[in-house]
Amino acid sequence: MVIAALLATAFILSSNLENSTAPISLLIGMSLGLLLERGRFCFFCIFRDGIEDKNTTPFLSVLVAIAVGSIGYTIIFGQFLPDTSTDRLPPVAHIGPVSWVLAVSAFTFGIGMALSGACISGHLYRLGQGYLRAIPSLIGTLIGFALAFLTWNWLYLNAISDAPTIWLPHYVGYSGALLLTLGALLLIAIFAIKKGTNSDPIRSAPSAAISVSATLKNLITQRWSPISTGAIVGLVGTFAYLRVEPLGVTRQLSTSARTFMDGNQIGADTLFGLDKLAGCVAVLTETITNNGWLVIGIVGTSFAAALAGGRFKFSKLTLTNSSTALVGGVLLGWGSMTSLGCTIGVLLSGTQAFALSGWLFFAFVFLGSYVGIKLKFHTTG
Amino acid sequence: MSISKKLIAGAIVSGLLATTGVLPAEARPKNLARAVAQPDWLEQNIDNPKVRIIEVSTEPGIYERGHIKNSIKLVWHTDLVDTVNRDIISQAKFTALVQKAGIDEDTTVVLYGDKNNWFAAWGAWIFNIYGQKDVRVLDGGRVKWEKDGRALTTAVPTFKAGNFVAKAADKNLRATLTRDVLPVAKKDSKATLIDIRSADEYSGKIFAPAGFQELAVRAGHIPGAINVPWGLNVNSDGTFKTVAELKKLYADKGVTGAGQIITYCRIGERSSLTWFVLSEILGFTRVKNYDGSWTEYGNSVGAPISNPAGTIWGSL
Repeated sequence: MVIAALLATAFILSSNLENSTAPISLLIGMSLGLLLERGRFCFFCIFRDGIEDKNTTPFLSVLVAIAVGSIGYTIIFGQFLPDTSTDRLPPVAHIGPVSWVLAVSAFTFGIGMALSGACISGHLYRLGQGYLRAIPSLIGTLIGFALAFLTWNWLYLNAISDAPTIWLPHYVGYSGALLLTLGALLLIAIFAIKKGTNSDPIRSAPSAAISVSATLKNLITQRWSPISTGAIVGLVGTFAYLRVEPLGVTRQLSTSARTFMDGNQIGADTLFGLDKLAGCVAVLTETITNNGWLVIGIVGTSFAAALAGGRFKFSKLTLTNSSTALVGGVLLGWGSMTSLGCTIGVLLSGTQAFALSGWLFFAFVFLGSYVGIKLKFHTTG
Repeated sequence: MSISKKLIAGAIVSGLLATTGVLPAEARPKNLARAVAQPDWLEQNIDNPKVRIIEVSTEPGIYERGHIKNSIKLVWHTDLVDTVNRDIISQAKFTALVQKAGIDEDTTVVLYGDKNNWFAAWGAWIFNIYGQKDVRVLDGGRVKWEKDGRALTTAVPTFKAGNFVAKAADKNLRATLTRDVLPVAKKDSKATLIDIRSADEYSGKIFAPAGFQELAVRAGHIPGAINVPWGLNVNSDGTFKTVAELKKLYADKGVTGAGQIITYCRIGERSSLTWFVLSEILGFTRVKNYDGSWTEYGNSVGAPISNPAGTIWGSL
């Protein structure tokens, strides 16, 4: 029923010509919500499985998502920007400046993940599963955005404005960049598989005969395999870039925070250089952006999938676990706004687009989660 | 009468009309000026090698995600202006740019874009300055084309280099501060100045439209300028009003085409749309666009302004 309501919304939106990409964004969000929920595509859970339980199989889904997405991006880039030798970058791809600020903000984001129990996309889909800690976390995220707006101008003037924006195809062409990316992913995958001891089975045994009930059970009740989840996430990312903008989940949230601050005259009038950078950048608007429709799609579809699969359950909310979630959320908000995106917008959409910023974010967000997990931050929830 | 019978009857009627060349009034392109390309005409000429379609949009990625077949993209702020000198693109660079686009001396250039064709009109102004003979703007621009449900493609065409060579910039199309505008403001020479910004910008109530940075320290307008907001040139769907409507609009403001006319706005892009209307649709012979516009004039030392709202320096 939720799905039907969302589809109906998409249909209504599609007859509204003012914003022709809103229905597509909603549908992309719905696919993503389903994927995140069914495939448990939660960056923090994936990192924790690997670090704590030595179960590195879920980690492969991230690598597969980057691999598939980078192939998809190569196909699109080849048409959007045939000549990589100029200073031009492919339009709106999430290719950001590389500076120490990004390392710090990604690390902060990683700590925030450990404290609050998930990254921002993770909180969004787990909200649909009844994970109540997502609420203080997301409130904290909004506060974190506000703090990030206050620190932005200083960071921009002192580091980000002079930082290079490094896009691999500019140096080695599309085939070189793709080979490098796939090679790096392969090395990481081999490392992860060797280190892992308690790997999940990649897939369950196929049923003897194809039947409707078995198929439904596979689709709705059982968890999707990390490989297929990753591959579909990569495909959805490709389609999102082709039709609307690279995947990302923070633009609408940070836009709301920025619009609120602007309306109440909190903080600086001008955020230097922000509007010229590529990523999940907050804009000033009262309306629901494409990204807003995407977020609605994620939460709604995740709820529907969780309900259908019998996984919807309200989690326990205590004063302690909600305050750690709130603090973690603040770190998530500050980290993602300062990084111009989160694990989806910078890590996935950045690495898929061959941006060095995506890889730097990947490394430091992992490091942040690693430190957070080793310090047992996640057990405070 | 059943539906199929109605269809047959309709087909016969339209067939008859087509053979006699008489079209019902509403089917006739309402704007008969040559410089305005109708979407139907463009669809029929989409593969015509003598027609070159150019998109000048400002939203990043909009061309790449789908554009009119066989159209190429020009970027207003890098391809058509010289950002270092705050000037229009140089003659030599324009020649190179246009030849690469496969444009010959006798090519019909059709420009279209997002945002009400503002930047497409800027492009048309530049093409005229450098002497291209047949420059048109697509009626309703990109928005109307999409609303009509016409096809878009992502394929990017390439063309054999063209032979168009830019002529010396035509000074009769471009106004500058010292040569044209200041003498008029100081009443040393005569011209009709048309401020195409909103009434509130014109009066000085606001310094810049909502969502734009204030780029001038003073608000108001050039003394003697009349206010005809650019939006009056077009219908709600972005198409140009008819020649008769436009003629009346400007005649009511005392603009009949006699004497020199200078259009301006904030940075000169919206006023190129009004320049296009006056010069290319109405055929007025002496129309200049002042691309320095208010961001140059409003900041200039020794340039008198008119500020009925009383906000000369803003509220201090």
